[in-house]
Amino acid sequence: MKTLLTLLALGFVISASAQERRVERPTTRPGARPTGTIAPIIDPDARPVPREAVLRNDSLLKVNVTYQGYAPHIPWQKESPGQRRGLGVFIDGNRVLVTGQLVADATYIELELADSGQKLPAKVAAVDYEANLAVLVSNVNETRSKAFLGGLKPMQLETKSRIGDNLNIWQLGRVGDLIVTNLKLSKVLTSQYVVEGSRFLVYEGQGIVRSEGNSFTVPIVKGGRLAGLLLNYDSKNQLTTVLPAPIIEHFLKDIADGQNDGFPSLGIEFQNTMDEQFRDYLGLKGEQGGMFVSAVSKGGSAEALGLKKGDIVLSLNGFAIDARGDYEDPDYGRLSMSHIVRGRAYVGDEMEVKVLRDGKTETLKGKLKRKAPDEYLVRPYLFDKGPNYLVAGGLVFQELTRPYLAAYGDRGGAQLARLQWVVNHPEDYEKAGRRKLVFLSGALPTPSTQGYDRVSWIIVDKVNGQAINDLKDLEAALKQPKDGLHTIELEDGPKRLYLDAIQAERDNLALLGGAYRIGELKRIE
Amino acid sequence: MKSTLLRPFLLLACATAPCLFGESKSVPSAAQPINLATGEWDNIVNIQVSTLTPDYREPWNAGQPGGGSGTGWLVGKNRFVTNAHVVSDGTRLIIRSTSDSEPHPARVVAVAHDCDLALVEAIDEKDFDHLKPLEVGGIPDLNTEVSVIGYPIGGERISVTRGVVSRIDFQPYSHTGVDSHLTIQVDAAINPGNSGGPVLQDGKVVGVAFQAYSGRVAQNVGYMIPTPIIKRFLKDVEDGKYDHYVDFAISDFPVENPAQRKALGLPNDGIGVMVADVEPIGSAADVLKEGDVLRALDGNPVLSNGLMKVDGQLIDKNEVIERKFAGEKVSIDLIRDGKPMKTEMTLKRFTPYVTLGEQHDKRPRYLVYAGLVFQPMDRNLVDAYQLRDPVVSYVFDNYLSKKIYVERPDVVILTNVLADDVNSYVQSLAPSIVDEVNGVKIKTMNDLKDALKAKGSKPDFIEIKLFEKGRPLILKRQLAEEAHPQIMKNYRITEDSYLGE
Repeated sequence: MKTLLTLLALGFVISASAQERRVERPTTRPGARPTGTIAPIIDPDARPVPREAVLRNDSLLKVNVTYQGYAPHIPWQKESPGQRRGLGVFIDGNRVLVTGQLVADATYIELELADSGQKLPAKVAAVDYEANLAVLVSNVNETRSKAFLGGLKPMQLETKSRIGDNLNIWQLGRVGDLIVTNLKLSKVLTSQYVVEGSRFLVYEGQGIVRSEGNSFTVPIVKGGRLAGLLLNYDSKNQLTTVLPAPIIEHFLKDIADGQNDGFPSLGIEFQNTMDEQFRDYLGLKGEQGGMFVSAVSKGGSAEALGLKKGDIVLSLNGFAIDARGDYEDPDYGRLSMSHIVRGRAYVGDEMEVKVLRDGKTETLKGKLKRKAPDEYLVRPYLFDKGPNYLVAGGLVFQELTRPYLAAYGDRGGAQLARLQWVVNHPEDYEKAGRRKLVFLSGALPTPSTQGYDRVSWIIVDKVNGQAINDLKDLEAALKQPKDGLHTIELEDGPKRLYLDAIQAERDNLALLGGAYRIGELKRIE
Repeated sequence: MKSTLLRPFLLLACATAPCLFGESKSVPSAAQPINLATGEWDNIVNIQVSTLTPDYREPWNAGQPGGGSGTGWLVGKNRFVTNAHVVSDGTRLIIRSTSDSEPHPARVVAVAHDCDLALVEAIDEKDFDHLKPLEVGGIPDLNTEVSVIGYPIGGERISVTRGVVSRIDFQPYSHTGVDSHLTIQVDAAINPGNSGGPVLQDGKVVGVAFQAYSGRVAQNVGYMIPTPIIKRFLKDVEDGKYDHYVDFAISDFPVENPAQRKALGLPNDGIGVMVADVEPIGSAADVLKEGDVLRALDGNPVLSNGLMKVDGQLIDKNEVIERKFAGEKVSIDLIRDGKPMKTEMTLKRFTPYVTLGEQHDKRPRYLVYAGLVFQPMDRNLVDAYQLRDPVVSYVFDNYLSKKIYVERPDVVILTNVLADDVNSYVQSLAPSIVDEVNGVKIKTMNDLKDALKAKGSKPDFIEIKLFEKGRPLILKRQLAEEAHPQIMKNYRITEDSYLGE
């Protein structure tokens, strides 16, 4: 049948663009919401506003970062390095607080005293990309760091900002002069930070943020204390989103023991119960609140607590949940229930959940945990290290990650859409015991891959008869060819590929240091 | 008409021209003058069509009135060949010839959307008795001259353009977008209104002009339907009905890799393609398996890139079955598990793919209940609503490859919610795919109709499970029943549903 054949062939042609090389550069877009790519948050082209009287400050310094990420599609290669300039807030323990975005994929970090221009190499002591926070420490001997940091005064946190408060935005001018603008705190809510699945508390306020060279880690200050860090600025609406001090405090407390446990999460999807006919159907009475649990993620806190799809969450740690999914926060008023878990609790804390199940109220208890990026079938984000891959005779296998898919956007066509689908529907693969989703990302032109050039973006099921649940499995399976052949079974057409084991080994050797400059045939970490 | 790069050429104008009648002569091949006064080319007619294009967003309405014009030619007694896309969704057909101002009412005898051909007759069969039909020839050679005759844009009267045969190849037919057949490319100008018109060589028809690339994309790339397809169509409809093309209903993969050849037990002779997928209800369902290697069809070797030699030309191997009819057989030489075998396959039509292409002459099916609008998923629907919902897109894209059609011949979509008090909280749930209604799995539109009446676990409620929506759509049965008649009135919908003939 022509139709099927044409469609199939078309799919292969489109997927051939997997070989296309693409370099993602940070873009500056006023009003852009953070999407996972690292980008400065202030529009540098905006018109300057008049300067205020010159002030000085002894808690802020400049932070210059050189970064270099890996190319998602050529995973043995790094992309061209770039520069990020931001501010750092000097805090107790000779540490410098910055946003996570500033130091992602950093190859070299230096601190700079704004007035003297003196510099000090630094390193990341702790980073949490979900909370978008990091602390830096000196990377050189004590004498030099003391001389550098000695004149700075640590800044304290102000966690008690409330709606209606007048806050200040602090920025540094060219010679270290402090530039102060006003910000009125108008709203407190939960919102996504930078990476996938990072929904936390934010402040929203109205005020103009000046465009200065150092757009990362702009401090928001109340009474000389740190009330938050600038997360996002929408210049069109002059709307500022702030990463608030309570989240910074949580991060600093968490890392105080030298270990980064991260922020706990519940791991459920939920729906409101405002629809009256739906409420009647669920057996919810009168003004009774509650959130309808529509999915429970594997390996999350909710699963461990015993929450099930179809439960109605009535309260969390004693906070009653309304039909919208909000609770009455003692500090901020109505707020999404996610803050009870993500902001108010720590990993290992006890959690008590009251649910309505089959018409009866039940109380579930257990400890909160965090689902680490590595525990996901499809890694939600990846910084500071390269994607896992394995090259066999020219066939390139990778473990699927969100950054890989994000690099293509919606230009991937139907074949990539299949992989995108899996990201939101990992259940079947998780049930089958897959830890990671191994897929064939493309073929380098070698004698072994003759005729396979157009095959890419297909999930690998088995190799040499063995199930492939991650790249380690693949590596092991490739050690056991049968009758001199590797058999690679794929989820979709062409369903089966074969490699001559000896030829593949020969091609591997030729690829090492060959035209493609592959230094390593695999990265499995 | 949808705007695509490759467009069928139907003109939105009509031409009439008074002329004297005469004996039809063969058309000269070189640049010889034509005297229309002698009645030459009177058997090449203009077809004017009034249409009603169904409105998939308002499926209860009659549709959008419109019209167009194309070309047809006499192939037998009161039988005109034209393109299917010229007469699709037609409500009234008028035929006019070059030398006759009289509009002749006409009707469609048979239409083949899968190869874009149709047969039309004048209602008064005596109208064209005096004309001699055109003769149908064979496949012209590359680089030989052809003339395209018809009623294209740029004037009222008959037009002729000339060019050479540029290429003979398989191409998708844009009328449905999912059918591909043998196609001949010519560099003669083919323009809107040429559709259905004959392409002549030595006085014989060697093709039907039907589509071309717009000048923005490519220059002088026009296509005609070659005579094997025309002849097959004419033979198929001899019994008064069209039986469609038959299909292998498989996907294949070239066998160009040495390790692959070795694994499949193939000699190194450049022959054979691997079967990558077999449709479970297609012709090959019980005959071929994944991993089989097709070596020859009807004794004719299949090259490892999927081509085969037919009439001296390298053409897609499907040409073997393109010329056959439902119920006919094809003999297959294959290698299975390293062993050579011979087998035979009885050919039949494979219908699920039609859903993925544009459909014509079809009234859209729908069902409205308490303001919820349900419609079966197909290309027309997805295009009309510009559906970009990721779930719908995924199911549409994988309807064949993931064999979704086996379980759900109709993928029923909640396309719209006509706002009313009763459904005010569920309006945001559209569009979504319906999984179950009151505990009944929805596989067809008819299932839906019955399931809405069925009582589920909570009989006072109507419970609609949707794909990926996290929560069911719940309506109180009594409220829904009460609201339904008023909603129908408010939105001026006269029938609750149309579920097909």
